Amino acid sequence: MARTQQERDRERTRITDDDGVAIESALVGDKLELSYPSSDETIVECARLDIPEEAITALVGPNGSGKSTLLKALSNHLKPDTGTVRIHGEDLDSFDQKELARELGVLSQENDSLGSISVEDLVYHGRYPHRGFFDGPDEADHRAVERAIELAGIEGIRDTELGQLSGGQKQLAWIAMVLAQDTDALLLDEPTTFLDVHHQFRVLETIRQLNEEKGVTVAVILHDITQAARFADYLVAMHDGKLYDWGPPEEVVTEQLLADVFGVEATIEYEPELQVLPKRALPDR
Amino acid sequence: MAGAESVSGHATTGQRDGWVTGTLVVFCLASTVVTIVAGLIQVSFGEYSMTLFEAWKAVFNPEVIFDLNAWASFLFGTARPDMSTDSIVVWDLRLPRVFVGIITGATLAVSGAVFQAVTRNELASPFILGVSSGAGFAVLATLVVFSGLAPFLPLIATLGGTFAFGVVYAIAWKGGTSPVRLVLAGVIVNMVFQSLQQGLFFFADDLGVVQTAIAWITGSLTGTGWEEVRIAVLPALISIGIALAGARQLNVLMLGENTARSLGMRVERVRFFLSGVAILAASVAIAVAGVVSFFGLVVPHIVRNTVGGDYRRLMVGCVFAGPALMVTADVGARLTLGTQMPVGVVTGLIGGPYFLYLMRKQQSMGEL
Repeated sequence: MARTQQERDRERTRITDDDGVAIESALVGDKLELSYPSSDETIVECARLDIPEEAITALVGPNGSGKSTLLKALSNHLKPDTGTVRIHGEDLDSFDQKELARELGVLSQENDSLGSISVEDLVYHGRYPHRGFFDGPDEADHRAVERAIELAGIEGIRDTELGQLSGGQKQLAWIAMVLAQDTDALLLDEPTTFLDVHHQFRVLETIRQLNEEKGVTVAVILHDITQAARFADYLVAMHDGKLYDWGPPEEVVTEQLLADVFGVEATIEYEPELQVLPKRALPDR
Repeated sequence: MAGAESVSGHATTGQRDGWVTGTLVVFCLASTVVTIVAGLIQVSFGEYSMTLFEAWKAVFNPEVIFDLNAWASFLFGTARPDMSTDSIVVWDLRLPRVFVGIITGATLAVSGAVFQAVTRNELASPFILGVSSGAGFAVLATLVVFSGLAPFLPLIATLGGTFAFGVVYAIAWKGGTSPVRLVLAGVIVNMVFQSLQQGLFFFADDLGVVQTAIAWITGSLTGTGWEEVRIAVLPALISIGIALAGARQLNVLMLGENTARSLGMRVERVRFFLSGVAILAASVAIAVAGVVSFFGLVVPHIVRNTVGGDYRRLMVGCVFAGPALMVTADVGARLTLGTQMPVGVVTGLIGGPYFLYLMRKQQSMGEL
């Protein structure tokens, strides 16, 4: 035990924010090498990844940079070839599936569209890890579901079937399901992609509210760098399966990064607030 | 709007038991009525002629219904107490056929519904997945070659079904399965097992056995008696019970593999376990009634179209609709097409076109 404590202390001292105050990490990926079972090719190599506690971290990068793969490893959907992922200092492997689902909520990018399930029923499925095989829902389940529905702002459509909702409403329903899981950490894979602006903001505001009120740690893949720069506390920029840079948006987002990682020429304004203004695509490198 | 009035309703606790809808209740009641009516018609006609009144009087004869010895003889095979000829004909010859129909109808419907959720494939059924032909081959081999093992038929059928299912899955597996690949693998395995079944005919000693075997391959309730009820009732109750209890797991599986895993389900294990239950359920039916085609495929569709896709409702609906349709189909086979006509002929003749209609009506078919 003493040794893990020591390790934890070491982690703590490793990262500090601007004022030199130590930041604790909810999720840590260590010496990760990731590949899919169908091929030998290593997709992601990452010596160290930190998802700081009680903050929102956005993973950004172009298509195919390995963001989703990395998120899959963090959520135990993909077993790393080498390296470990720890949540609150404990190895993911030491959890059984349900225990992990009580610690970590995950929303995948593609959610199979089920037509004939009501929003409320879907949200109740979020309580799965808290219930036994034969248990009915109890008071705590009802409360968690009500809270999740309220937080996602979907009271008005709770009895509507999923098939009749717009893409944005569907996404909010799925997010409510993950919220009902009542976890300290959330991993979201592109929750705003394909949504109209209104629903993009509603999704992001829901996440922000959850983070501020409940101190939930969030790691979210955002495909829009301008949005990520404004929204997240920390950015993780991925490029070609490697971690390009990590830190608060003001430090990470530079013209260099936009050129190197995203292949665009852009101007960046830091005052009054961080703003990315992409101009044109750079010729292929 | 409907949403507004239900908000107040949801504030009350215990609302979550509200998955029982009016439609479901009506559907189940209607199914029960159909089962009873079809059952009564079934017991009223036959070679031993009785008036409707006599037959129904025999069915509801309190001296039989409340006679423990009679039930012991039915269910445990003890000596039958004396009863009138009418009672014997109705209770010993005709009613068990209805009961076997009820059991096979319920188990096949439940089995199909579970398979459709586990594979997330609308086209899945015990037949498509090879379970029917595998179990069928095992049973046929038992009947023709090892006739002494008859009491263990459900078990033997389960072994055969499990083996065939394993082969189908192994063929279709390529880092996951797709509905089309699964169906194709099923077709292949079915063909192999059907050839094996036909090959077995040449080992049969006499024509009588061959005729039984053919009727059996088509799926027939002809000549089923209390013995079949005895063999089937316990594994049927067990498998249906587990399937009903597992309805919520099936609902979560329907959310997709990734989501189910994120929610803390050990997906492979649950899938495996519930597939086992579905194989058992199908094998029970196959052991006593043979391969009734299309039944496990079509009934869950009918139920789904009526009560919706929530498996808690769907499963209950299947348990009621399966018997109703099976007993009705059997009555249809026996009374309109001739006394020896296997019920599988009727289910095939009706189920096939119905499925064709579904295919035409729905834009896409395959993944659930």
